Amino acid sequence: MELRLEKLTKVFTNKNGQETRAVDNLDITIESGTLVALLGPSGCGKSTTLFMIAGLVKPTGGKIFFGEDDVTKLAPEKRGIGLVFQNYALYPHMTVFKNILFPLENLDVPRDEAFARVKEMANLVGIGELLDRKPSQLSGGQQQRVAIARALVKKPRVLLLDEPLSNLDARLRLQMREEIKRIQRETGITTIFVTHDQEEAMSISDKMVVLDFGKEQQYAAPQSMYNQPGNLFVAKFLGNPPINAFEAEVKNKKLIINEKPFMTLNVPDGLYDVGMRPENFRVADDGFKTEIKDIFHIGRDTMIHFEFNGNNVRALVDSDTMKVNQKSVSLTIKPERVYIFDKQTGKVVNHG
Amino acid sequence: MGNFIKNAKEFLIKIGNAIKNFFWNIRRYINKFKRKISDFLDKKKINPAGKFPGWAKALVYLSPALIVLGIFTFWPIINSFALVVYENYNMTSDSITGYTIFGNFIKVLTDESFIVPASHTASSAVINTLIIVFISVPISIFLALGISVALNSIKPLKGFFQTVYFLPYVTNTIAIGLVFAYMFKTQGGLVNQFISFFGIDASELSWVETNAVYWRSMFVLIFYSVWSSLAFKIMVFLTSIQGIDKQYYQAASIDATPKGRIFSKITVPLISPMIFYITVTSVIGAFKIYNAIVALFGVQGTPPGANYNLQSIVMYIYQFIDGSKEGQLSVAAAGSLILFAIILVLTIVQMQVSKKRVHY
Amino acid sequence: MEKQLFLKSKKIEKITLIFDALAVITYIALFLFLFNHLQMPMDGQSVILEDLETFNPIYNDFPGIFSNLVLNRGQMNSIISILIIFFIVAFPMLFINIKKNKTRTIYDIDSYSTASTFVQAIINLLTFNFVGAGLRVYNTFVYIKFLKGYSPKEFFKSIIPAIKNKRAERKAKKLEIVEDEEVKDEYSLSIKKSIRRQTAVSTVRLLLTYLFLVLIALIIIIPFYWMVLTSVKTFSESSSTLNPQFFLWIDRWNWVNYKVVLTEQNFGLYIKNTVIVALLSTFGTIITTVLSAYAFARIEFKGRELLFSILIMTMMIPGELYIITNFITVSKNGFGWIGNPAGENQYFLAMILPFVTSISYIFFLRQNFKQIPESLYKAARVDGCSDFKYLMRVMVPIASPTIFTITILNIFGSWNAYIWPRIITSVGDINGSNYWLISNALRDTDFVLDTGRVMYNLQIAASTLVTVPLLIVFFMFRKYIMNGIGRSGTKG
Ligand SMILES: Nc1ncnc2c1ncn2[C@@H]1O[C@H](COP(=O)(O)OP(=O)(O)OP(=O)(O)O)[C@@H](O)[C@H]1O
Ligand SMILES: [Mg+2]
Repeated sequence: MELRLEKLTKVFTNKNGQETRAVDNLDITIESGTLVALLGPSGCGKSTTLFMIAGLVKPTGGKIFFGEDDVTKLAPEKRGIGLVFQNYALYPHMTVFKNILFPLENLDVPRDEAFARVKEMANLVGIGELLDRKPSQLSGGQQQRVAIARALVKKPRVLLLDEPLSNLDARLRLQMREEIKRIQRETGITTIFVTHDQEEAMSISDKMVVLDFGKEQQYAAPQSMYNQPGNLFVAKFLGNPPINAFEAEVKNKKLIINEKPFMTLNVPDGLYDVGMRPENFRVADDGFKTEIKDIFHIGRDTMIHFEFNGNNVRALVDSDTMKVNQKSVSLTIKPERVYIFDKQTGKVVNHG
Repeated sequence: MGNFIKNAKEFLIKIGNAIKNFFWNIRRYINKFKRKISDFLDKKKINPAGKFPGWAKALVYLSPALIVLGIFTFWPIINSFALVVYENYNMTSDSITGYTIFGNFIKVLTDESFIVPASHTASSAVINTLIIVFISVPISIFLALGISVALNSIKPLKGFFQTVYFLPYVTNTIAIGLVFAYMFKTQGGLVNQFISFFGIDASELSWVETNAVYWRSMFVLIFYSVWSSLAFKIMVFLTSIQGIDKQYYQAASIDATPKGRIFSKITVPLISPMIFYITVTSVIGAFKIYNAIVALFGVQGTPPGANYNLQSIVMYIYQFIDGSKEGQLSVAAAGSLILFAIILVLTIVQMQVSKKRVHY
Repeated sequence: MEKQLFLKSKKIEKITLIFDALAVITYIALFLFLFNHLQMPMDGQSVILEDLETFNPIYNDFPGIFSNLVLNRGQMNSIISILIIFFIVAFPMLFINIKKNKTRTIYDIDSYSTASTFVQAIINLLTFNFVGAGLRVYNTFVYIKFLKGYSPKEFFKSIIPAIKNKRAERKAKKLEIVEDEEVKDEYSLSIKKSIRRQTAVSTVRLLLTYLFLVLIALIIIIPFYWMVLTSVKTFSESSSTLNPQFFLWIDRWNWVNYKVVLTEQNFGLYIKNTVIVALLSTFGTIITTVLSAYAFARIEFKGRELLFSILIMTMMIPGELYIITNFITVSKNGFGWIGNPAGENQYFLAMILPFVTSISYIFFLRQNFKQIPESLYKAARVDGCSDFKYLMRVMVPIASPTIFTITILNIFGSWNAYIWPRIITSVGDINGSNYWLISNALRDTDFVLDTGRVMYNLQIAASTLVTVPLLIVFFMFRKYIMNGIGRSGTKG
């Protein structure tokens, strides 16, 4: 089922009358059966967006559509959503079985069928053996599976996950990520996945939304967002190590770096923010020569620090192309991998 | 045989399932019905949840408590300010002869045996109460602290001692009070028997009976009130001592800090909020002492044949309601307002002191 | 194999528990029967208290196979005492074992639990629970088989070699120590000395600590001991002016004292009154406090903080202030529950209603509710759970330890209530004393003979009767109550 947000806005007003724009004019359409990641730094309004879709927080403005239905004013239980919380929110006094059964108690399901569905769901997420345990007797990963089973058992139209992996250790995270993707594919349910971990978002989602201060920054497929960031914020937010961003001038369609023309660009003259991803540099004899300030060998890759317009810049190159104790290097970068951003708006001016 | 048990088990499970199914279905129908109503309301664009603001919902939950509190707590507070300005309020006819602002307060304050001792004695309600407060509270707090530190330092039998010390908390004040009075009997009482064990003639040593001198009766009263109030304090102190991070003690023991210093420099400061809290509550509690006196010395608070009494402030107040000096409810109200004022002042003073002293 | 043994032992234990329970029920039933059978010197309807001392009935009217049994006063006393002692031993054992059996896992079986099972078998034997004893001995061998793999025969054979082995080991150790001491250089000697001094100091300190604790424990226990002892003494024993008895043999425990107190002195009625008041007021308190604690913890409404702080402030006002007006409120010029002619008074209403809520419990429970994470509420909302259902199905179960503590504390409070019931039962109606609660009854019942002497034994028996139920409840829920008090810090 398609999910559409129209100019969705939430403003919190505290006791002193101070306003926080948690979510600001969000316009997003999520196609049926896709998994969309909601990505952004802490406090950017991800949870608030999710809770508005769930009906737990009333929007200040805008509308929410599930398919053709306007659900903006519908009570949470009537929206047909499943919600998984960051800390799982399992009922500590109930067994796993009762936890998963709980949502069905309020629906029109015969008891036998309800039991069957609980068991089916438990098997789907791989906790069929643990039904008699209490949440406190489960590991983090198991608790998370229970939370997903509880959200899915009532066959929701939309599944919402609020940072479900942030309490797990690194390895379990990788595993659960794949698990969630698998479950989502098997059930074909429209899913929104909130996270502040860009790598997680990129690996799991069909499409991503990047938020900052409640505003949508870009909405695209992960790889295209990575390769064609819409603005400086997105460019900085995605990628590890982070993108090199510095100021540079364009004169006569030439990008000036270190007071030398660096490459030809089809943009008007002026001062710009320039972004170059470290991993887009290549060692090549026909490139620009630069002195190495610092060098780190990290297995397959080698990180080089050098200077551009007085800014420290990093390049990540293949270790095979570097010699030990090398003092200088000659590097190239493809023009389409040099991102030029408007200094005022931060919007991208060209993609090479 | 085994088969039979199996069959019986299955049968029971079946019955259980049938019952559970029944309740499940009832819930299902109720849910269905609820959903129908809310769908209907949705259709008519009535949104009951939206119409009721938060306080309406809160009121539903709060009303049982608020009604009871309103009648039996808030109204009495308001009414006692009305009562104190009545002159000669008569409860049975609900009539008064006039109004007075300070009259009832003056009546209490100048009453023989409230502040000023009655002519032939040296005791009054206020004096008695102050003596009890200023002797029993410090003793019980120091004792409780000592006991909890001692308890905390042992391992075997700790649970046993803890349980024993807790016993006075789960008793009836009057019942054990009667036992204490019996133990302090002049002739054949356990205490006097114990004293004569040391070769002292205790056959005429009166504690709670005829010929008991003021200080001896007072001793029994204070002894009993300390005895019965220790349990709670030990429990609270012990809980907070056990809550102290072990690292402080480990650090201190590496620095070779002597035990006494550990107690005064680590334990006491770290649980000082609790000590402060317990001090405030037990001072207030001691000011309201009543049951213990009644148990030991009867409703009049006087040992038989004594020319003094051991009335406390609360006892003084109650004598106007409980039949001995019936009818003067206005005076009683004035007395209880005075008690309130004393407690309020003490609380404020202690709060001020604690702001400087208590280490949080 | 191991698992099978474990399951077998668990099954045996369950059956043992059933027999333990049967034994306890038998003790109670026998006790009740004999206690009912106790005779008092009667003069028409009332008991002649003066004759209680010398009254020496012969009990020979037992039913069935016991019809030939003839018991005198001392024998009757002994049998009842033994039954009570059996109960005191068997009931806690049963209670603890039921709790343990529920949580027992295969890892809990060790030599300690085996030994304890054997000891319990001996206790069973001593309390005439022969079936239980047999089953426990059998279970002990199952445990041994489980732990060591010995069958009973092999086990008995293995005992003597094991003891010999232990002895040899000990000898070897002693030799080692002697050898150890032969090494004597200056440094290690000085260290040894200081260690010795240290142990001496800490031993002395430990001894003093225990001495102190034992002393305090004695001061606390002695009144209880004296109470129970006095409650079964005769009148002359209890009021002897010289050399009171410190110990009595079981045939001189006069259980008839309790019967007099319960029937003639009406304590049965007073206990019933108190139980009614305690249960109803506690029931009311729980309902009102749970609802309002929920409102204060979860519902957002204007003026919540203000209302809450008003409630907190009223906690400072002494209860004595309320009593004056509440007295007016419940009497003729108010609700008219009391102060009417005999038979028209609603004493229970007047005793219960003012106490069906408590600000301090609302406060205590609210703190507890607040600790329940908000996300549980959100999850429940998404699942279509109404506010009330959420409260009942999620909040209340999670906070149940606190609610249980409140229940117990409130029951204790009612059990201790003195002034309010005294005031309202003392006006007007001469039948007011039929509505006394136990504390009033203890203070206001005449335990005085015609000669003007106080019957201390009866008075103290009544005190014991009032204290024992509290102690039983306390011992059953010791952990809950003690932890609850430590955490809450309520009760001024
Ligand atoms: N109930 C509330 N009242 C007032 N302000 C709120 C409330 N809830 C959230 N906010 C504010 O709204 C903003 C967005 O909050 P939100 O919880 O949506 O962030 P988030 O993106 O989920 O962050 P995180 O990754 O840390 O969970 C924050 O600035 C927060 O302080
Ligand atoms: Mg969040």
